Amino acid sequence: MNAALDDVIVLDLTSRFSSSLTAAFLADFGGNVIRVELATSPQERGQAKAGWNHEADLIHRNKQSVLIDPGKTRGRELLVELANQADVIITDWQTPDLEQLCLDYASVAATNPGVVFGRTSGFGPVGPDSDLPAIDELAACRAGAMPTLQQPGEPPVYTGAGAMHATVLLAFGVVTALVHRQATGEGQEVDTSLFAANMYGASLDLQAFLAIDEKQRERLMHPISRLDVSNPISGALYPSSDGRWVTLTMPDTDRWWPLLAPAVGIDVDDERFDSHDKRCEINRLELIHELEARFQQHPGAHWRALFAEQQMSADVIEQFDYPAQDPQVAANGYIMELDHPSFGKLNSLGFPIYMSDSPARLRSLAPCIGQHTAGVLHDLLGYSEDDIYQLTTDGVI
Amino acid sequence: MAKALEGIRVIDFTVWFQGPVSAQYLADFGAEVIKVENPKGGDQGRGVRSMKSLAIGDWNQYFLVINRNKKSIAIDLKKPEGQEILYRMVEKSDVFLSNLSPALLAKMNLSFDQLSAINPRLVYATNTGYGRFGGVSKPSFDMTVQALTGAMARLGEPGQPPIYMGMGSGDAYGGIMSAMGIAMAIYQRNRTGKGQCIDASLYGAQLYLAAPYLQAYLAGDKKSALQQSRKEVENPLWNLYPTAGKWLYLCEENTDQRFALLCNALGDDGLASDARFASAQARSENNVALIAAIDAITSGRSDDQLLAEFERNGLVHSPVNSYADVVEDEQAWQNNYFMKAYCEEVKREVDVRGLPVTLSKTPGEVNTLGPQLGQDTELLMMDLLEYEWEQIEEFKAKGAIP
Repeated sequence: MNAALDDVIVLDLTSRFSSSLTAAFLADFGGNVIRVELATSPQERGQAKAGWNHEADLIHRNKQSVLIDPGKTRGRELLVELANQADVIITDWQTPDLEQLCLDYASVAATNPGVVFGRTSGFGPVGPDSDLPAIDELAACRAGAMPTLQQPGEPPVYTGAGAMHATVLLAFGVVTALVHRQATGEGQEVDTSLFAANMYGASLDLQAFLAIDEKQRERLMHPISRLDVSNPISGALYPSSDGRWVTLTMPDTDRWWPLLAPAVGIDVDDERFDSHDKRCEINRLELIHELEARFQQHPGAHWRALFAEQQMSADVIEQFDYPAQDPQVAANGYIMELDHPSFGKLNSLGFPIYMSDSPARLRSLAPCIGQHTAGVLHDLLGYSEDDIYQLTTDGVI
Repeated sequence: MAKALEGIRVIDFTVWFQGPVSAQYLADFGAEVIKVENPKGGDQGRGVRSMKSLAIGDWNQYFLVINRNKKSIAIDLKKPEGQEILYRMVEKSDVFLSNLSPALLAKMNLSFDQLSAINPRLVYATNTGYGRFGGVSKPSFDMTVQALTGAMARLGEPGQPPIYMGMGSGDAYGGIMSAMGIAMAIYQRNRTGKGQCIDASLYGAQLYLAAPYLQAYLAGDKKSALQQSRKEVENPLWNLYPTAGKWLYLCEENTDQRFALLCNALGDDGLASDARFASAQARSENNVALIAAIDAITSGRSDDQLLAEFERNGLVHSPVNSYADVVEDEQAWQNNYFMKAYCEEVKREVDVRGLPVTLSKTPGEVNTLGPQLGQDTELLMMDLLEYEWEQIEEFKAKGAIP
C-alpha cells in the first residue's frame, strides 16, 4: 500500500511533546522519520517509570532512532551528513544549540538548499521575546483566553490545547512547503510558535476583540457565569441529577425551542418564553433558572437518550472513559488497539485524519534509543559494516 | 511574492467555521479558493454579527476573516443546470472541500464516487462531525463534540463545572487538521496523478486537543481524567499564583536553587527557613502547605511589583494576560500573528488575525477579506468555465445563477 509521504526523509530534532508529535504525524502517513538522540544528553523519553511508555509510543511511533555523540568531531560530521540527506527537518531546539552543531537552517541550506526546515518556537522567530523558552504555559498566559474560561472567582485555566494546535500547524506548514518544493525544487524555513498556536485556539474571541467597540471590550475579557449566559440554550451548562453536566448549543432558539421545551417539561407556549427575545433578553435569567431546575430532575443518561431521539444539538459532558469505549471512536480509528510485545493489547491514540487511498498506519512502536543507528548509516549514508564497526568502537555512535 | 500553493484550485463548499477555516489556510498560502454558495443568503456564517449578545464591530468580522483571500460563486445546486456548472468546476479543480454531511452531499449528487468519476485527480475532503464510519450523524457543534472527548471534564477546580476551551476552539483545530490532510493528499496526487477522499472530523481532531492526558488515561492513569486543584499540584514551583491584580504563572523546576530564588523574590525569610520546604522531596510532600504559604504572600502584592521581583531573580514566569494585553502585544504584531487588511464594507483598514505559521520564501498573505455573495460568478463562468455569454444568460433565466 502506498503512503502520502513515503518519499520524504525527515530528520527529527525534537525534545518536546508538541513537535515530536508533528514528526510522528508525518511518519504515520509514510514519512521516513529518523529521530536523532544525542549521546551527551539523551532526551527524556516520557516517564522513566516501569510499565508501558505510552507517551513514547504516541509521539515517537513509526520512527527510527539514531544515537550519535556530538562531543566527537566524527559525530558532528555524521549529524551534518544526515541533515544533508533530509527532505525535512523538524525541530524545537533553541537556535544557539542548532548553530553549535551546524544544524541551523543557514548551515544546512548551504549544502542542502531543498531542505524544508520546520521549527516550533516559543514566541516566533522575530521580536523582543523570540528567545524565550518554548514552554506552552508561558505562551498560553500571553494569548488572553486564560482569564476568561473559568467561572467568575475561580483561578484562570491552562488547557494545554495550544501545544496541540502547534503540532498540527507545523505539520500543515511543512507539507505545504513540500508541495511548493515539488513545483520549484525550492526549500525554505517553516515556523510556528506556541504563542501563535494559543492565539489561534482562541481565534474567535480574539478576532471579535480586535473588531469590537472599545467600550464593550470588558464583557469579552472576563469570565461569564454559566448562570448569566447570553443565550440560555447555547453555550450553556446545567447539572443533571447524577452530577453529570449537560451542554446545549442551540443558537437559533426559534428552531430548537419547540423540541427542547417539551423535552424538559416546559410548555412550548409558556408565554414567558414564547419568543427569541423573551428567551434571550426579557426573561433570560428566569429561563436559565428554570432549566437549571429541570435538568436536575433526571440523570445524564436520560438527557442523552432524549437528545439523540430528537436529534438535538446537545450532549452530556463525558470523561475520558467515554471516548475510550465509544464504538464511533473505534470505527474511525481515533483510538486503536495495539499489540505491545511486553504489555500485550493496549489502547492508544490513533489517527485524526482519514485518507481513503493512503491511510495512516502503525508500522512500528517507538524505537529504542539508537536502535536504527547502524541501519540508517548504511542505508542512507552508505557506510560499510567496517566503517560502522569503527565508529562504534570509537564511541561516535 | 511566490505562493506555496500556486496553481491549486479549491472548491470551498463549506459553511460556518471549521470548513471555512480549513480553506482559509489553503487560500492564505496561495491556492485559488472559490466559495460555492447558495444564491439565497449564502453561507450562514454571513449572518453572525454578534457574540455573547454583543454586536461585534461595524464590519462582519466573523465571516470576512475566515473567508479572506477567497472568491465567491453563487449557484443554485437544486437546479440541474446548477449542478452542471459545479461539475464543470470539478473538472477544472484540484480540491473539493465540504463540511456538509456525506449523506447530504450524496443526496445532492456530490459524493466522492460521483466527483472523482468526473475528475480522478480530485482531492475530495469532508469535515464530518464524528467521522465517516460508525454511523453517528447527529448535529455537531464545537462544544457538544468537545463535551464527548473528556477534554472539558478534566479542567477546572474540583467541584466546578467543566471548562469549554473557548468559542470555536474545536472548529479552529478541526480546520487546521483538515488543511494538513488536504496538503498531504495534494502532495501525493502530484506524484501519482490520483486523488482520494479524506476526512478530518470535529470529534477526531478534538480528541487530540488533550492528547497527553487522554493517552495517559488509556495507559491506566485514571486521575488524568479528573479535575485537579491548583492547590495540590505536585511541584509548587510550576503553578498559577494570585496577586492583587493579574495571576502569575511560575514555571520552574523543583530544585533548591530555584526555590531559593523564589523565596528571595517573595522577600520572605520564613519560607526559606521552613523545614517543611527544605528539600525538593519535602516541597512536593508538603505541596499543599507550600502553595497556601505562597498564596498568602502573593495575593496581597501588586502584580507589577511581583513581576519585577521574579524578573530580577531570573525566574521563568509570565503574567496571565487579558485580550486587551494581547492585541497590544508587540511580539504578536512583529510575527504577523496580527495583520492589517483593507475592509470594503467600512472602507478602512481593520485588524485581523494573521498567519500562525509562516513560510520564509512563500510567507502567506492577506490580500482581500471575504468576498461578497456571488461577486465572482460571471467572471468565473466566462474565464474559468468558458461559457459563452448566451449560455450564461440561459443559466440566469433558469435561476441556476443569480
